[in-house]
Amino acid sequence: MKDLFSKFASLSEKELVGLDKAYGWSLSAAELLQARDYFRKLKRQPFRGELESLAQTWSEHCKHKTFSGPVKFHSGGKVKKYRNLFKETIVRATKELNRPWCLSVFKDNAGIVEFGSDKKWGLAFKAETHNHPCAVEPYGGAETGVGGVIRDILGVGLGAKPVLNTDNFCFGRLDSKAKLPKNALGAERIFRGVVDGVRDYGNRMGIPTAAGGIYFDEGYLLNPLVYVGCVGLIPVDKIEKRVRPGDLIVSIGGRTGRDGIHGATFSSANIDEETSASAVQIGHAINEKKVLDVIMRARDRGLYDALTDCGAGGFSSAIGELGAETGAHVRLENAKLKDTRIEPWEIWVSESQERMILAVPPKKLPALEDVLNAENCEYCVLGEFTSNGRLLVTFNSEAVVDLPMDFLHGGVPNVEKAASFHPPAVSRRPPAAGRPHLKMLEELLSHPNICSRHSVITQYDHEVQGGTVIKPLQGRYGDGPGDAAVIWPHSATGNVRDHSGFAVAHGFQPAAGRIDPYLMAVYSVDEAVRNLLCAGSEISRAAILDNFCAASPRDPEVMGGLVLAAEGCYDAAIGYGAPFISGKDSFYNQSKDAAGKDYPIPLSLLISAIAPVEDVRLAITADLKTAGDPVYLAGITGKGMGGSVYNELHDTGNNYLCPVDIKAAVRLYGALLKAIKTGCVSAAHDVSQGGLAVTLAEMAFSGGLGAELDLASALAEKGVGELELLFGESPSRLVLEVRKEKEKEFLRLLKGLPAARLGFVRDTRELEVRLDGERLLKGNVFTLKRRWKRDLL
Amino acid sequence: MIIEIWTKEKYADNEEKALVERLSRAGLPVKSAKLSRLYNVDAPWPQQEFARLGADLLADRLTEKYSLSKRPGTGGLYRVEVWLKRSATDVIGESVKEAIHDMTGRAPAGVRFGRAYYIEGAGRGTRDAVRKLKEVVSKTLANEIVQTINIAGPGVRGAGAV
Repeated sequence: MKDLFSKFASLSEKELVGLDKAYGWSLSAAELLQARDYFRKLKRQPFRGELESLAQTWSEHCKHKTFSGPVKFHSGGKVKKYRNLFKETIVRATKELNRPWCLSVFKDNAGIVEFGSDKKWGLAFKAETHNHPCAVEPYGGAETGVGGVIRDILGVGLGAKPVLNTDNFCFGRLDSKAKLPKNALGAERIFRGVVDGVRDYGNRMGIPTAAGGIYFDEGYLLNPLVYVGCVGLIPVDKIEKRVRPGDLIVSIGGRTGRDGIHGATFSSANIDEETSASAVQIGHAINEKKVLDVIMRARDRGLYDALTDCGAGGFSSAIGELGAETGAHVRLENAKLKDTRIEPWEIWVSESQERMILAVPPKKLPALEDVLNAENCEYCVLGEFTSNGRLLVTFNSEAVVDLPMDFLHGGVPNVEKAASFHPPAVSRRPPAAGRPHLKMLEELLSHPNICSRHSVITQYDHEVQGGTVIKPLQGRYGDGPGDAAVIWPHSATGNVRDHSGFAVAHGFQPAAGRIDPYLMAVYSVDEAVRNLLCAGSEISRAAILDNFCAASPRDPEVMGGLVLAAEGCYDAAIGYGAPFISGKDSFYNQSKDAAGKDYPIPLSLLISAIAPVEDVRLAITADLKTAGDPVYLAGITGKGMGGSVYNELHDTGNNYLCPVDIKAAVRLYGALLKAIKTGCVSAAHDVSQGGLAVTLAEMAFSGGLGAELDLASALAEKGVGELELLFGESPSRLVLEVRKEKEKEFLRLLKGLPAARLGFVRDTRELEVRLDGERLLKGNVFTLKRRWKRDLL
Repeated sequence: MIIEIWTKEKYADNEEKALVERLSRAGLPVKSAKLSRLYNVDAPWPQQEFARLGADLLADRLTEKYSLSKRPGTGGLYRVEVWLKRSATDVIGESVKEAIHDMTGRAPAGVRFGRAYYIEGAGRGTRDAVRKLKEVVSKTLANEIVQTINIAGPGVRGAGAV
């Protein structure tokens, strides 16, 4: 292969493709031809470092070619063309909404929105995935995923202080009987390793992990999804950064080794038995904590002009991005190494963790060195940013890369992707019930997608920094479920008199996506906004992140689902007035099992939402509080059992998904927020997985109280039966406990909107639900809780 | 020198029960299982220096014990050692190395971190039993992309023969 490499500029397409496979670049044929033709024009062969740089910069992981490229979508005999799917859906919604409180969107390592009563702070939010590394080595993959997203927050603007970590996981079913290929790890092994990694990294960094979710589906058996997020606070006058020619390129934090070579290109490939151990990354939280402490001190003293993290692609990515407008000369012989047996090009693309790049004016270097030495944080001066628009990388006198930034960042060819969508058959026939309702409720409560996550949550430190107001486990006994985490970031602002906080919640609906990707996206945004509302946050100021994960986009049906989901994102963002501020995507999440059966993941969209809470002391939780209080169902129950957990336990024969009336939902949510802020509502919980019956049970056992309810008064679409009332998962509904002394005020605020009193909280241990007086189910709340509170780990 | 640390018997029920359950779910029903942490400290120091590290640095005196030789009371059990490969960065090992330097003023040449599992009732001595044990360990307790597995015990010729 070395022979072939030395003739790169004269190779045929077939030879280039063979070379790509041997070198692990994951470039497409069109990209290889583009690179070949470029070097032909230069009349020279490329250096290894140049092709490695192109492979990394042009990788799906770094360039997001699929989402930001042209797409031709065929559906129902019509054709729609997109020049840039991402800009024409996600970014377009944000531009049209044009919210003045969006301070930085889609241009930095994270999105930033305004925060706090004094408008001095920005709230930075980013979520990433680390799927492929976690499939290969769950512990290291999860650790470095957390470390990476924390560095995104450290590297946004001139550096934000992390105050919250989020984690959302998708795994194969723990009871899966599928025979795995030789090198694949089982679902339990991946689950355990990922949780351990998130726990160890977050806890050691001193950042609370307090919001997230876990979802099990056979589609994730060979390709787990590990979404990790981070929220940070940044002074508004530290949001802008600009590299100046002459600034020194300073690398701080960990040393560079051979670990993680080809991480970015690996993330753009299918996982197979040949997966290399060098793609595994190892995290070192203590080193990252030193980096965090250095950045916070150096930022406030103005010791650098810009910074970014070394993520996928290492120095190549970080210095290439920072110097894109200026140029850079990097001298790799100055790098601090873990191991001297390393090639110069490997130093350039290594993804060794816990490193950040700073652009430092030469005269400020001594002061920065003082801070670095005080924190015992290693560093090296790698070179300087120039003004010639070229990327020059050398190792002593040897050239490693010598390319113009224009080609590196703008040379990737745009290849139109084909997309199509053939919807599955949808049945709207009346759903058939399974076992008796109480039995089904018990089974639903112990279903892995509904049951308690305490065995995972309690491993995380969600209290560190002392600002977690609404915790992941809630209620009278501190062990009930919740909808959102509420954080009071006084440890970052230093102001304990300002009770401004923020809430973080998620929406995730892959089961709906199997039926209708467009509705999946709308459901997910609706769920995320509704969860924020349940904590009493300002949903009119909600900002959201999109994290798409999918199988191979070379399959037009996968692309078709993506197009529909992106359109759903646009409509939902506009409808709910919630701009996207950042996002990320991950493709090629598919593998074959031992029998050769393909396991593509279902199209998966995580919506992460954040919104301010004006006064954290007024935030509310989901548990029932006071006997005698009325219980209301807000929203209209729609027809259909599509995407429901009930359908997974017992096929009702109905897989219809109820559409979302976004305008009606927004009107309802606005009125409900007023009711919450005026103290009319003491508990709120969204109706989601498992339907109304599960919502009621969770509220009851979290509060240790019973309830007597009759669903006859519940507002519902014409023809909705008792099964859909109890277990249907139609969107835009919440259950509320209303303070009895404030019920009149509540009704005044909700006048003309769909909210119906179902009954009352009772000082008993029984949850009794009737329909027109006829009992549907009656169960002891502590028995129900026992079914729910099972150990997942 | 390998310093071995384990939870005192009276506090070890939960971790041992959880390990037995994991092995059982993976297809290896066993009577009992114990686990230890291993620190391989590469330094030409006298025995008492390592004993000091075990007692004062690596073990929690209230809940844990340490040993500089094979853990007592494990005769006849399979001993499974899981170590990170030399090519994988050992973060815990690096931290312990720094801690030893802070404590003693001298840094060892290197420290590697590993785990030991003692397993009883896994078929005792047959070739099939050892193969099954290795298979289950590689599925549940180790990842052979970054870790190595050594098994010693009944039916295994020479320590670390697998």
